[in-house]
Amino acid sequence: MNLWITLETGLREILAHKFRSILSMLGIVLGVSSLIATMGLTNGIEHGTRVFMEQIGGLELVSIIQKEVSADRMDFSALSPGRTIRDAEALRVSAPLVGYISPEMGFGAFIAAGPISDRKAILGVWPDHFVVARHDLNVGRFLTQLDVDNATHAMVIGDDIVQKFWPALTPAQVLGRTITINQVPFRVVGVCKRYEREQEKRMQEILKSRNKAQPPKSATLRWDPFRRKNESIIIPLTTLFYEFKSGQLPDDSMASTHIDTLNLRIENLAYYRQALDQIRSTLNGTHRGVDDFDLQTRDEWFERMETSISATRLSGGLIAIISLVVGGIGITNIMLASISERVREIGIRLAVGARGRDIFLQILVESVSVAFIGGLIGIVAGYGLIQLLIVIAPSENIPFMSVESVIISVAFAVLAGIISGIYPALRASKLDPISALRYE
Amino acid sequence: MSLVLLEKVAKTYRIGDQEIRALDGVDLRIEEGEFLAIIGPSGSGKSTLMHLLGCLDTPSEGRMHLFGQDLTTARSDTLAAVRNREIGFVFQSFNLLPKLDVVRNIELPLLYSGIPAAERRRRAIEVAESVGLGDRLANRPTQLSGGQCQRVAIARALVNRPRIIFGDEPTGNLDSTTGELVLEMFRQLNREGRTVVLVTHDPDVAGIARRVIEIRDGRIKREYFPESAPPSRQP
Repeated sequence: MNLWITLETGLREILAHKFRSILSMLGIVLGVSSLIATMGLTNGIEHGTRVFMEQIGGLELVSIIQKEVSADRMDFSALSPGRTIRDAEALRVSAPLVGYISPEMGFGAFIAAGPISDRKAILGVWPDHFVVARHDLNVGRFLTQLDVDNATHAMVIGDDIVQKFWPALTPAQVLGRTITINQVPFRVVGVCKRYEREQEKRMQEILKSRNKAQPPKSATLRWDPFRRKNESIIIPLTTLFYEFKSGQLPDDSMASTHIDTLNLRIENLAYYRQALDQIRSTLNGTHRGVDDFDLQTRDEWFERMETSISATRLSGGLIAIISLVVGGIGITNIMLASISERVREIGIRLAVGARGRDIFLQILVESVSVAFIGGLIGIVAGYGLIQLLIVIAPSENIPFMSVESVIISVAFAVLAGIISGIYPALRASKLDPISALRYE
Repeated sequence: MSLVLLEKVAKTYRIGDQEIRALDGVDLRIEEGEFLAIIGPSGSGKSTLMHLLGCLDTPSEGRMHLFGQDLTTARSDTLAAVRNREIGFVFQSFNLLPKLDVVRNIELPLLYSGIPAAERRRRAIEVAESVGLGDRLANRPTQLSGGQCQRVAIARALVNRPRIIFGDEPTGNLDSTTGELVLEMFRQLNREGRTVVLVTHDPDVAGIARRVIEIRDGRIKREYFPESAPPSRQP
């Protein structure tokens, strides 16, 4: 008996007992839909996390941070100049694996444009900063090496600054306007894009479709990882130093002044370790061997994130697998019941020449078909469940259904069908034709 | 070579700690083209004998040679293949599959002999027409009369062109007129050269056969030839 006829016979049997088949499918439907839904959720979390990781600079970002010198080396600590612009310059020369170097200096200042004024954080940077901090330009240009070399009074601002100081203007209209930092005038040369979380983007879309301008308050009150980025006020590092920092210390030069932040971006992750070694040895030179700095990398942090994602995935998957097992037991149960109802049919088939394995295959194909159809229904139900989740429990990480999750779910459903069909099929195939024919 | 050759065949069943000897030393030879009836009261062992002859079972003792094959210790798959190729059954209670229509019921044995779908259908319809069911092909057994059901069963028994056809009380569930028609079909089959074995408790049914074997208590009690009138010889 070939597989096609077996399949046809199985489907016939399923169709002949619709209600019973639906009951036996139910477990698989629930199992698959919950598998799809949990995988959708973890997909969403994973995607959200990856986007967030990307936004904050990704794995390639390495920060050089200050470190307390250990007590026994205290005497030498004065030998080190600390983190200065010299570190950045040295890295640019002798750490080729480091793609971008962003020394930064910041301070709080009084900002004014026209009638509006506020205290804001100012950041002085090299052009590399825009790459390292993953800034995207909306209009105008970023700061260039020329700005840094000539200490120009050019400035790139975030979208929030535009909204704060020129609420009536578009970012494009703001270009060329003047803003003062502690009474020193600067000219806006670039405005960054608005950085938003996925959730806010969607909120905007919904609001747009409803023709409402005002976002709901709860959304604005939430912690926003991009708030600082949107409030950026960025000027050349040299300008910041000459205008606002110089003249404060006796030994006063651009090169020897401490910088606040030193962020690096590694060009190629394949040479991650080597790049870290280059950074370390370069800085050991500029710091004269004093161990007063540390490399802060993201890999451990990201690893923790990955671990927690896979833990979520595992626990969700486990729950779904358990319900699939329960569904499989349901199929076994109903197949056993259906077999004792069909002993006579099996007897007839045996009498006309069916072999034990024909009967085995028939029952197995039937249970796999039930599971497979249940799986397909489960995928539809799971998709519905995901849509429902999006509506009733909106989160930053929008769950979505991936192709893998569909394949995995169907594979598990079919596996459940095979496993749950084996015992009933084995029992049916072991029936003795004579007693099966006599069975009433 | 005989079609069927049983030598000192015995079949014992075990029910609890009691051993039941359903067949006790049966010798039987059936030649190609014979029309044989096995007769006996219930519990005589005639059904057990038919199960052995029909390859549904193997003997506990003795030797069983069917269709030129020694099947004394055959495995169930071998028996199934022999049933499929060489044997057609017609049962008292028809044993049709209620969910399948007439054509699908008839082609059931062909499903297990690997014949392609078109050929299966063609042969099933051909056989259905030969038993006078040409206008009932799409009906289900529940929509047919008892006589029609038995004709479907006969068609199913014939579809694989078997060498031997068994009728197990084939008229038991039919009224006398339709029963007569069914018996006539068996007679016709035999005239066409097929080996037919009827199993019955009814001497009238057995009377249409050319050789009758009477079973009592698991043994062949006597053998007679209805056409040549009363018993001719003891086994």
